[in-house]
Amino acid sequence: MDHPAIRYVFIIATAAFLQYTLFTQFRIAGVSADLLLVVAIAAGIVAGAERGAIVGFVCGLCLDLLVVTPFGLGAISGLVAGVVAGLLEGATVHSARWLTAAIAFISSGAGVLSFAIAGALLGRSDMLSLHVFTILGIVGASSALLVFPVVKVCRWADPEDALLRAAVR
Amino acid sequence: MASSRRGGRARITISLLLLSAVLLLTLDGRGSGPIQSVRSSVLTVLSPLGSAASSVASPFRDAWNSVFDQGDLKKENDALREENDRLKGDITANSIAKEQLQQLLQLVGIPFVGDTPVVHTRVVSGAVGNFGDRLELDKGSSSGIQRNMPVVTGEGLIGKVIEVGENRSIVSLLSSGTYKVGFSVVGTAAIGIAEGTGGDGSLRGSNIDSRQSVSVGAIAATSGLAGSPFPPNLPIGTITAVRTNEAALESTVDIKMFANLNDLVYADVVLWKPAG
Repeated sequence: MDHPAIRYVFIIATAAFLQYTLFTQFRIAGVSADLLLVVAIAAGIVAGAERGAIVGFVCGLCLDLLVVTPFGLGAISGLVAGVVAGLLEGATVHSARWLTAAIAFISSGAGVLSFAIAGALLGRSDMLSLHVFTILGIVGASSALLVFPVVKVCRWADPEDALLRAAVR
Repeated sequence: MASSRRGGRARITISLLLLSAVLLLTLDGRGSGPIQSVRSSVLTVLSPLGSAASSVASPFRDAWNSVFDQGDLKKENDALREENDRLKGDITANSIAKEQLQQLLQLVGIPFVGDTPVVHTRVVSGAVGNFGDRLELDKGSSSGIQRNMPVVTGEGLIGKVIEVGENRSIVSLLSSGTYKVGFSVVGTAAIGIAEGTGGDGSLRGSNIDSRQSVSVGAIAATSGLAGSPFPPNLPIGTITAVRTNEAALESTVDIKMFANLNDLVYADVVLWKPAG
């Protein structure tokens, strides 16, 4: 289990399992935390936009298997979240916990919005109702909290990339 | 130089992934069989885990809900007390009204589900994701449930089955606005098409001939016209507003669904398939 890809598969499978069995049970205003989105964001923070995109895409596909929205919306959402997290992390000049939380909040917002907009473009106009603001707030806040442990897990999966980026910074 | 090469490669990777996602959306939109099969298989494999997790997490979930929904619970409690007092006084009147209702239903020919067999199910959870009005039921194809079968509560139609695993079904609520239902207005010859507005139990009915007299308070039930995915005479809701466009000879109506879509615990799947 030395290769980062294998470790990421293990992380994504665990996240999908936890999302299905645990996280979906605990909701605020009908909205639950999105662990798969957090994994995409954490991968973007640890290893950059490209890795964030790949991990986000796979995470999104896993979510697509669990939900009944058009297949591929989750993939776009995860991809966007991973890329945005990677780009924002790359654009920051120093590391701080609040900054990581802010990146997670913004990236999850980008992921949720891309999901809603793509869904609306496919004829699901109900996805762009006012409820999307509740989803943005709750998913964003939960992502900002969950990103710290998940970043640690992604550093385990991607130790070389994490060290390289830390050294560059 | 190396950085720009890496940036170029990243852009290509991201573009390819984006294209793949669009391709998947297109395939799914065209009703690709493999995607549906994979989803059903995943549902079948995960459903026992979901049930077990739901049971284990139940006390914690209740505690969680009591914390985050405390304000709502207090309001609900107050409202229920008030309603309880009122209902006590209404018991006698209701028994008479019940008798009258039975007579009325017979008169207008609404047998509700009638002799059509139903599968009693428990609502296991809402959707895994945060978008869409979906419910997960604890029974599936092993109980005879198939895609597109109507789902009702004791109050009326709530939606239809859109995914089936061996022991799990996913229901898309009528209020979601993802599909339409033909309806007729009880006691009139008016028919129309209702669609969810994405709101809480609200529907918008259209394509009603304006020459038909439709009034606020009338009952809308499924029309069950040829090709309809729903059987006739399933109660949908009450008409709360009527708008008439004389120029277009068309009326539109707002419908409030009978069924309370919040906190659904049980639902019945009607084992009914459209003819042909």
